[in-house]
Parts: sequence; C-alpha cells; structure tokens
Amino acid sequence: MDNIVEVRDLVVRFGDFTAVNGISFDVREGEIFGFLGPNGAGKTTSIRTITTIQKYDSGSISIGGHNIRTDYLEARKLIGIAQQNISLDKDLTVRQNLKHHAILHKIPRKDIDRVVEETAHILELDDYMDHKVMNLSGGWKRKASIICAIIHQPKILLLDEPTAGLDTRSRYMLWDLVRMLNARGTTIFLTTHYIEEAEALCNRVAIIDHGKIVTKGTVDELRDSIGRITVDTTSDDGKRRMEYFPDIATAKEFAHTLGDRLYNIRRTTLEDVFLEVTGDKEGA
Amino acid sequence: MGILDETFRVAWGDLVYMKGNMIEVLLSSLVGPLLYLLAFGFGVGGNMEDPAAYVKYIIPGIIALTTLSATFSTVSMKILVQRLFYMSFDELLLCPIHISAIILGKLVQGVARALISCTILLVVGWLLSPQVVISPWIFVLIIVASMMFSLLGLLAGMLTNKTQTLTLFSSIVIIPMTFLCGTLFDSSTLPDGISFIIYCLPLTHVSNLMRGLMLPEYSIGLDSIVIVAIYVAVLFSICYYMIKNNKC
Ligand SMILES: Nc1ncnc2c1ncn2[C@@H]1O[C@H](COP(=O)(O)OP(=O)(O)OP(=O)(O)O)[C@@H](O)[C@H]1O
Ligand SMILES: [Mg+2]
Repeated sequence: MDNIVEVRDLVVRFGDFTAVNGISFDVREGEIFGFLGPNGAGKTTSIRTITTIQKYDSGSISIGGHNIRTDYLEARKLIGIAQQNISLDKDLTVRQNLKHHAILHKIPRKDIDRVVEETAHILELDDYMDHKVMNLSGGWKRKASIICAIIHQPKILLLDEPTAGLDTRSRYMLWDLVRMLNARGTTIFLTTHYIEEAEALCNRVAIIDHGKIVTKGTVDELRDSIGRITVDTTSDDGKRRMEYFPDIATAKEFAHTLGDRLYNIRRTTLEDVFLEVTGDKEGA
Repeated sequence: MGILDETFRVAWGDLVYMKGNMIEVLLSSLVGPLLYLLAFGFGVGGNMEDPAAYVKYIIPGIIALTTLSATFSTVSMKILVQRLFYMSFDELLLCPIHISAIILGKLVQGVARALISCTILLVVGWLLSPQVVISPWIFVLIIVASMMFSLLGLLAGMLTNKTQTLTLFSSIVIIPMTFLCGTLFDSSTLPDGISFIIYCLPLTHVSNLMRGLMLPEYSIGLDSIVIVAIYVAVLFSICYYMIKNNKC
C-alpha cells in the first residue's frame, strides 16, 4: 500500500509555545487513520498544517508525493477537509454552500447541479438542501460540511473531530458516513478525543499528547504493545490500578499474589492503552 | 481570463446572498446618502444664497462618499465574520484559486453595492440638478473607488479580531472621513494642518475627481489620479502579502 500522506519531524510553534513537537507518521492509501489525543494535544494544528493553511517551522510533509512547501497547489487538489469549527457560510443554504464549493473547485458548470444533487442524495441530505446552514442541528451541519469537503472528490479526506459534541444518534450517522466514504475509496484521516470512536472506525491510530506521538499502530498492535490482558484492581491507597500481561496465564499468576483484594481479569482496551501511554494510569 | 473567472467563482457566494437580500442591501447603502442629500442639500443649502448651486456641488460629493459608505463596513464585517465565526475564509485558501482572485472576489460585493447605489443616486442627482454631466467615466471612477474602499475593508476585516475594533475604527476614521473629505463642503477652507491630513485621505481625491467629471467648472487633478492609484496598489499588496503568508 502506498502512503498518501508522509509527515516527518513536523514542528509547529506559536511564538514560544511548541504546539506540535517533532511528529512523524504516514497515512496509507485506502485506510482510516486516526489521531487520538486529549484537548490541546496538537491535533487541529497538525491537521491544519497538512492542509497547507497553517505554517510550520520545520520538518516535511508530502501529500500524494507532492511536497507541500514547494508544490502546494498540486497537494491541495488531493485534499478535502471538514474543520473542527464548521466552515460553511451560515448565511447561505446547504445547496448554495455545496454549489459554491463546486464552483470554487472548478467542477465544469454543466455538471455542477448534477454533482450537487447526486452527492446530496447519496448522503441523504436531500430534505435539508434548502435549509439555511444557520438553522441546522449540529449533526446535520457536520454532515453538510463533510459533503462540501468531498464535492471535488479528494483522494484524502481530513476530518477534525467529526463527532465532537454530537448526540449518540448523530454520531452513529456520521460513523456510517465515514465508513461509506472509505468503502468508496476515499482515504480518511480523522482526529478525535473519543477512544471508542478511534476503536470503532480506525484501521490505525496514533496517540498524540503534548504535541508528540506517544505510540501508533493498529488497535491490536497497540493493545499488544502494553499487554493484551489487563488485571484491573485497586492499590493500597484505594486507587484504581491496572497491570497488563501478554496472556491469561501470567495475568492469573499475578492475580494470585493479590491476596484477598478484588480484581477483574479482562481484555485490554484502547482506553487502557491511552491511559497507559499518556501517563494517566489512575484514570481520568 | 483566468483571474477574472476565478474572481467570480470566489464572489459567487456573496453575490447569491446579495441577490436574496436586495431590499436590505438597498436600504443599508442608500438611506444614509439620501438623508445627507436631504439634510445638507435642502436643510443647510436652503439657507444659502444659491441653494441650487450647493445642491449641484454636493451631488458628486455624496456619490463619492457612497463609494465608501456602501463598501467599507459591509466588506470588513463580512470578512471578519467569515474568518472568525464561519471559518469559511480558510476554505478559500484550499481551493485551486489564485490569491489575486481571492482578493478581487472579496471586493466584488462591495463594488456591486456601490454601483447599484451610486447609479440610483446619479439618477436622483440628475433629476434634482439636470446640469450635472453624466459620462461613462463616472462609472469607471465608481468602480475604482469602491474597489479601493473594499480593499480597505478587506484589510480591516483581516487585521481585527473583534467586531468592536471595527466599529471603533469606523467611528474614528471612516465617519469623519465621510464628512470632511470635500464631500459636503470645500475642505481647503479648513486650518492648514487639518487640510493637509485631509489631502492625504483617499476620499478627498475621489470627491475631487467625481466633481471634475460631473461639473464642467471643476478640473480633474492629475495628483488625485496618482494618489488613488497608489492607495489601490498599496492596499492590494498588503492584502496579498497577508494572505500569502497566512497572516489572517
Ligand atoms: N493560533 C494559536 N496561537 C497560539 N496558540 C495556539 C494557536 N492555536 C492553537 N494553539 C495552542 O496549541 C495547542 C494545540 O492546539 P490544537 O488546537 O492543535 O489542539 P487539539 O488537539 O486540536 O485540541 P482540541 O481537542 O481542544 O481541539 C493548544 O495548547 C492551543 O492553545
Ligand atoms: Mg482540535
């Protein structure tokens, strides 16, 4: 599989503050890749840098083989982005926003109406086309912004916190949308601070904290990296304590040493990995 | 004509909005100038020896000030909102569109508003005072002047991060400029220091040129043409630099 995004040693500073501190990763063609990290980790900054909107201080980024420093116009053609703050013109209707995106991306005039209708139809947005964006609920606003981002059929779709602040129903609606777009051949790079979202959607995940990638791999690889079996128990001072083991046998051996303390042997989850690698073992 | 084509691609959204809100556009850009015409032309001018001459004098001035009042506040506010609240300005940077076209495209709504309202004022002015000369050059001047003030609006909208700052800038720079720059009275009668500042302001030259075009007894100053051209070039370059370097 080819890499569609290659980032090496990326550093982004705001004045004295280093928001992204030397991260490297690849996004492979056809996959759903996720950045999982807490608030302020540097997810938005990274994604905005990749889209060429945000300047960076050092490192290199290439999109589809185009270096974004020198060849940004070519790189931009491959990208669609739905930003964390929904970037639609809220004075206009959904249809007008879609049309404007199509016009800006130079879709031939004769095809615009057809492309807009078709895209909206696939994504079941038909009934909302003539609503002003301002009056849509959060989930539909988000959906409309994703549809704008794909109108020019980008090879890679960047989604910055696509489901932050949405109710469960809207979240499932967007998950389905993301899976469908991916199944139709779009590579997806999303950021999230919801562990279950990364677990449910992503082929590969990078966990980012304080501007650094602390670990990355498939969800299984990440579990294996700390131990796929977890013994969940309490420590002497009554706090929650987790120990990780490569198999059930070693986990049971450890459990026997706990005496009469209560414990639970279970599969390791991505949440365990997250807490382990972000140095927050006691739980959030 | 790649740039021109791209310009209209950028302007499309703003023009659609204008088309859907024509009444609001007309009210917001015409009520002010028409009130000035009424208050100054008939109120103040009514007490003068030759009221008709004063009305004739202020018609070009009011058209000149409309190229400012119909553009600056709308363009600056729209840019600020699109940048900070709608986040849709970013989106333009991601389209396969030249920076020049982004700038020009963002001026189109200002120019369109100015053209519509100035044309209506021209008709009103001509009805009130048929001696005024109406030539195609007037429209050229309206376009250039409204581009200049829209550029100023674009720049203000990119530099400020609060609506209050814009309102403040409007009331300490734009509103005084509206009245003082030879629009409603001859600013050369003001004290020396002040009249020099006034001479440096762009609206002064728009009113001078407008008067030169519309009233046979006034001439067209070459200095005014040069100063307007410099303003346009400098404002455009600053906007270009800011967008190019992600400074907005
Ligand atoms: N324009 C800016 N100027 C100064 N600091 C900034 C700027 N943008 C972001 N930061 C800082 O950089 C850090 C990373 O921000 P970023 O928005 O990338 O985080 P994030 O992972 O997207 O967080 P969230 O989950 O809250 O969206 C934060 O500490 C933030 O305060
Ligand atoms: Mg973010």
